[in-house]
Amino acid sequence: MPNIVIDDREIEVPAGTKVIDAARQLDIMIPRFCYHVALGSVGACRVCAVKFVEGPFKGVQMSCMIDAKDGMVVSTTDEEAVEFRKYVIECLMLHHPHDCPVCDEGGHCLLQDMTISGGHGIRRYLGSKRTYRDQYLGPLVQHEMNRCIHCYRCSRFYQEFAGYRDLGVMQSANRVFFGRYEDGILESPFTGNLSDICPTGVYTDKPSRFIGRRWDYERSPSLCINCSLGCHTVASARYRQLVRQEARYSEEVNGYFICDRGRYGFFYASHEKRPRRALVEGEEVAYHQAIDTVREKLAQISGSAGPEAIACLSSERSSLETQAMLKRVCQNKNWSGPLFFMEQSLAEKVKTATARLEPGLTVSLRELEQADFILAVGADPINEAPMLALAMRQAQRFGGRVVVIDPRPIFLPFDFQHLPVRLHEVDLYLSLMIKAAVDRETATELGPSAAEFYQTIPTLETAAVPLQEQIATLAQELRGCQRPVIVCGTEVVPQTTPALAADQVLLLKAMDKQTGLFYLMPGANTFGASLLSGDDGSFSTTLESIEKGKIKALIVTERDLFWKYQNKQRLERIIEKLDLLVVLDYVDSETAQKSDVFFPVSSLYEAGGVFINQEGRVQVAPKVYLGGTPIKQNSGGGHPPRVYGVGIPGSEPRPAWQVVVEIGNGELPPDEETAFATTRKWLAEGNPVFANLPPIDQFPDDGVRLGPALDVGSRFSLDWQTERHPKRNSDGLELILVDWTFGTEELSIYSPHLRQVEKEPCLSMHTSDAVRLGLSSGDKVAIRFDGGRVEASLCVAENMASGVIVMPRHRLLEWQKIKELPRIVRFEEIEKVSV
Amino acid sequence: MPNNYPQVLFQNRKPDRITTLEEYQQSGGYRALADVLRNYSYKDVQEALVEAILLGRGGAAFPAGRKLMTIADDAPFPRYVVCNADEMEPGTFKDRVLIHADPHMIIEGMIIDGYGAKAEKGVIFIRPEYESAAKILEREIKIAKEAGFLGKNIMGTDYSLDIVVHRSAGRYICGEVTAQLNALMGRRPNPKQPPPYPTEKGLWDRPTVLQNVETLANIPHIIRNGPEWYKSLAKTETGAGTKIFCVSGRVNKPGCVELPIGVRLSEIIELHAGGMPAGSEYKACLPGGASTRYLSKEFYDIEMDFEPLRQVGHRLGTGAIMVFDHKTCLVGATLNLTEFFARESCGWCTPCREGLPYIRDLLARLEAGDGREELIPMLQQMSKHLWSSYCAFAPGAVSPVESLITYFEDEVRDHISQKQCPFK
Amino acid sequence: MLPTELRASLAEQIASVDHPRELLVDVMFAVQDHYGYLSDQAVEEVADLLGMTPLEVEELATFYTFVYRHRVGKYVIHVCDSVICWMDGHESLVEHLERKLEIKMGETTPDGLFTLLPVCCIGYCDRAPAILINKKVYGPLTPEKIDEILAKLQGEA
Ligand SMILES: Cc1cc2nc3c(=O)[nH]c(=O)nc-3n(C[C@H](O)[C@H](O)[C@H](O)COP(=O)(O)O)c2cc1C
Ligand code: SF4
Ligand code: FES
Repeated sequence: MPNIVIDDREIEVPAGTKVIDAARQLDIMIPRFCYHVALGSVGACRVCAVKFVEGPFKGVQMSCMIDAKDGMVVSTTDEEAVEFRKYVIECLMLHHPHDCPVCDEGGHCLLQDMTISGGHGIRRYLGSKRTYRDQYLGPLVQHEMNRCIHCYRCSRFYQEFAGYRDLGVMQSANRVFFGRYEDGILESPFTGNLSDICPTGVYTDKPSRFIGRRWDYERSPSLCINCSLGCHTVASARYRQLVRQEARYSEEVNGYFICDRGRYGFFYASHEKRPRRALVEGEEVAYHQAIDTVREKLAQISGSAGPEAIACLSSERSSLETQAMLKRVCQNKNWSGPLFFMEQSLAEKVKTATARLEPGLTVSLRELEQADFILAVGADPINEAPMLALAMRQAQRFGGRVVVIDPRPIFLPFDFQHLPVRLHEVDLYLSLMIKAAVDRETATELGPSAAEFYQTIPTLETAAVPLQEQIATLAQELRGCQRPVIVCGTEVVPQTTPALAADQVLLLKAMDKQTGLFYLMPGANTFGASLLSGDDGSFSTTLESIEKGKIKALIVTERDLFWKYQNKQRLERIIEKLDLLVVLDYVDSETAQKSDVFFPVSSLYEAGGVFINQEGRVQVAPKVYLGGTPIKQNSGGGHPPRVYGVGIPGSEPRPAWQVVVEIGNGELPPDEETAFATTRKWLAEGNPVFANLPPIDQFPDDGVRLGPALDVGSRFSLDWQTERHPKRNSDGLELILVDWTFGTEELSIYSPHLRQVEKEPCLSMHTSDAVRLGLSSGDKVAIRFDGGRVEASLCVAENMASGVIVMPRHRLLEWQKIKELPRIVRFEEIEKVSV
Repeated sequence: MPNNYPQVLFQNRKPDRITTLEEYQQSGGYRALADVLRNYSYKDVQEALVEAILLGRGGAAFPAGRKLMTIADDAPFPRYVVCNADEMEPGTFKDRVLIHADPHMIIEGMIIDGYGAKAEKGVIFIRPEYESAAKILEREIKIAKEAGFLGKNIMGTDYSLDIVVHRSAGRYICGEVTAQLNALMGRRPNPKQPPPYPTEKGLWDRPTVLQNVETLANIPHIIRNGPEWYKSLAKTETGAGTKIFCVSGRVNKPGCVELPIGVRLSEIIELHAGGMPAGSEYKACLPGGASTRYLSKEFYDIEMDFEPLRQVGHRLGTGAIMVFDHKTCLVGATLNLTEFFARESCGWCTPCREGLPYIRDLLARLEAGDGREELIPMLQQMSKHLWSSYCAFAPGAVSPVESLITYFEDEVRDHISQKQCPFK
Repeated sequence: MLPTELRASLAEQIASVDHPRELLVDVMFAVQDHYGYLSDQAVEEVADLLGMTPLEVEELATFYTFVYRHRVGKYVIHVCDSVICWMDGHESLVEHLERKLEIKMGETTPDGLFTLLPVCCIGYCDRAPAILINKKVYGPLTPEKIDEILAKLQGEA
């Protein structure tokens, strides 16, 4: 490890560390514009110049371009270097407008900081300023090219790091222009990062324009709950309105960036229609009145029909506290549930995944970037968890191979191999590939069950599948790699896939590889839900019980029943049938609207909370602000509001777990810390993994990864073999319901800005199927479901499996007419709609 | 004009047409190639060039043999050899003349250089202004191929090389090696600072050796006549070979002449470029293109060789001598040159992209009589800062500015004190 | 739209190389020759041929001097303005051209015949002052010679 002296202080750094980073380890912040840890060094801006006094380099040199070496002596304060840096800043200011007072970047602008700290205050240049025309880049970022200092960060992030191709550098010399070919919405779902990485105000966060300066905001670290990855964010609120979210650096999870769904997914929190008052039969009532009403009714029902007649349904987006409290109340009261999933098979898959994430196999997003072979099964990263796609791209950029086994038309912003096979074939293809890469002896060493497992996988030669050659080549590569990772989805895949993926990872690991397993899950706290969910009953039995009149009351926390359930009519009927539907939520969902008693609860930003991401990482989101109706809404934008009263308007919502406790006649803990402490203690009684959690205020930044969270169960099961031959159907297409980056996720759909970037819902089918049906891309088609017709336009794709039809659970599509799942759509049920 | 010096590169030069393949062969052409293919290992080629002290003629004067040697023995294939015919350095037109004089000499040089690199593919990168030269090269490459000097199994040996002509769409920075490689790959032609060096990771990440047209043209002769002969061509101890000087500006006979390395500047101007026009007095010249320093009268007799010029703080550059007389305003000339550089900067790094227009602005003020005393130290300071730019473009760009102040500060001051250009 | 034959021949050329992008300049030139300049449509067609995005083509098209992203005349006159031509009367040459064609540098004559553009040293300093018309060089120039050349081109048009 080289030893280097910077400003008379010595430090030892790993080989390959740039001088600029070595300095940082000494808390010396060398100015930089083009350099960014994630993007690497390119030496373009020249502001990181320092003086090399001793060693292999001499004189003023760029600290971002030179690796620290033994014997180097560097001065950052040397007169010549300081003067040069000052000159660079002067150059960058030649054309920069003096609009800091009105610029949205003002106050957190790197250029502003450098100009001031570099001591450039007086303009010497007598020429005029260059100006550019700005472009319309869509609803998420604002373009203001005159402020550009040409550090090239934007195009490097956009093209090299993220892999999108519609923003870049044009022109030459001092006419260089950064933008798009023409005005239009940026295509990348990672667009918002432009405003984070731009060191000045060329790309600013559009939705929060003119709302405030950074120092005006209430800012706090937070978490993204728009998918299961749990990326780190910084949330900013002003005047009781959540106005902006930025990426927060996380060593283990998201690195420096987040996706647009996460960044702009928070608008539900300050939505105008956000319910802020408790409702009983649609009438606004005081919170305690609603509590009393519920308690009374529940007591009645419990008295007359027994406590089991009260059922509870929790959610994958609730905090661990809320999930746990509900479970505890149910247990104390002998109510039914709580259930955490509406779909039993999903619950089981997720539980398997949770159990199979053994230490030593689990990898974080960051670790996944190091993989040299990523095999994704039943996962559509860009649509299900966008930041996963970005991490996979980094692996690919540095030479890793990416293979996806999935029936859907998969797009990823990099080159990868897609094996578009039917869902029931996913297991087989995964197994074929691994078997071809793993030796029999290796499998045998793992014990008899592994040996048998290995034995029963057909060999490539005997399997007689298409794509054989491709699999053989890929398997050969897999054999040669060192750090393979299997990424496994849990939503569309067959029941057996999560366990199978884990078994295959074990085989790979036995080949002396540093192997990783990475699951995707459907919600921000699905992991927590799966730890808490019991074996008692499923949602469909609950539905039946309601229909039979056995269950009379349903308490639903932070979930919209209609959001992911395929039979709308049935839900409507059971709600009719219920004596009491209690809903706790912070969005005005359809379920909330149909409730008998409604409790408004605080959002993540007001309540904070603990969430466990898909790799079992327990993370804490602190409170960001107090909550309440945004001043803009309750005073029509005027300030200060002229209405006087005690308390904060609209501040009735409280954390869901509090409401749960109160509904269950429990005693409220005096504060959150105690609440979490008691929850944790109680959780630990149920599952010892929770015993190791630190107190809430001592959580490390990157959270705590849970050890083996559930009993691993049996390894090397042969179950997948029996399930892999479903009835062949030659007269129809298998329906696959999927998520999209935008338009299908429950919370982000409240963002008016994301609505502008979401794509119109469309159905996808393979070219061969389209040909058979006489359809082509762009056709409007209707599918006759049992609950009615669903109309959408058609996307015909080559890069997907034939025999399937893919439908997004899009907010603009009435897919809940499907009724029954799984479903084969018969050809005669698909028709072209003439327009 | 008496020029009794041995003509090597120009031995077949004709006033109005190119040298054909037959003519080239009659003069000994492609014999070096035959010899190399039969009797040389690729390392022998490298050594011959090192021994001959063949320095790059594109401006940077890097030893051509040493460049070949930096390709690792186990470096991957395919490897590339690139001929830099971009020649956008103002004042420079020797490569154009060479291509029009004797294209096969360049092709042969390129094949031998390629052999020394074990290259399988060759590319000639040529500026759009030289469309006629590009056409000639394309035609002669085809002829060479038909004659078995190019393509598969050259002259029946197991060495194969194909050469294609790549047209540029015009930017000075494309002449810089790493920018040129980017341009060849269809990327923005920004330079790329080594490491890795092009000979390690060049075109498509494969080893690539790039030489100037004139450098390549020397290679067949070195092989044919030996390094010792080559060294003996020069007039100076340090030098080797001949140099094509292209003389322009205030001389009676602007054009290209081939002279031994080390002839004196005065001789070039007076004897080989027809002297200066009547009434013109030598004031200065740029000895090797726009990115070299003005040689004032005190250097009028200097030996035009890389080393002697280096010792007095100058560069031979491309050997494009631009002569200025006592009636030419050097502030105006420098402004013009700076205008060129400001316009041609690739826009990658700050000091060059923003600093050159800044310097241009100062020079324009001086030239217009708007200058002030403080502008002189400002110019000096800024020029100094441009040395910390990303690539060699910017240090070249400020060479005229810096030498203007070094040698002609009085002329600059006259602009200030007279509040106008004294030459107008 | 590009004529089918041109498109096919370009596509064939592209298919014959290892890295389509290396042909970007050639393809831009070919398409530019067809349209007279590289129009938006041309950029999009080039992108399509090479499997690039229009932005990726634009990144290069706007970098280079000899790719015209604006409509130009049938004859593009590039007037060298570098130091030797400057010394040898580039200024009066420009004045003469501007007067003669009744346009300024950067403009195109109303009949769409001539465009005047500056260019840096074209490598004909031995023939200064020099210009390039559709990549063909003329020099050393005098006002008379210019008139002759223009008249000839006008006659041919
Ligand atoms: C800005 C810039 C422009 C250059 N232009 C040319 C050029 O037009 N032709 C050329 O041969 N070399 C040019 N060079 C030099 C090349 O970078 C390189 O050194 C040379 O082509 C290598 O060939 P040589 O060793 O045979 O001279 C240029 C260098 C710089 C920095
Ligand atoms: S010095 Fe000029 S030409 Fe070289 S990289 Fe910087 S901007 Fe580009
Ligand atoms: S940070 Fe080093 S050159 Fe920009």
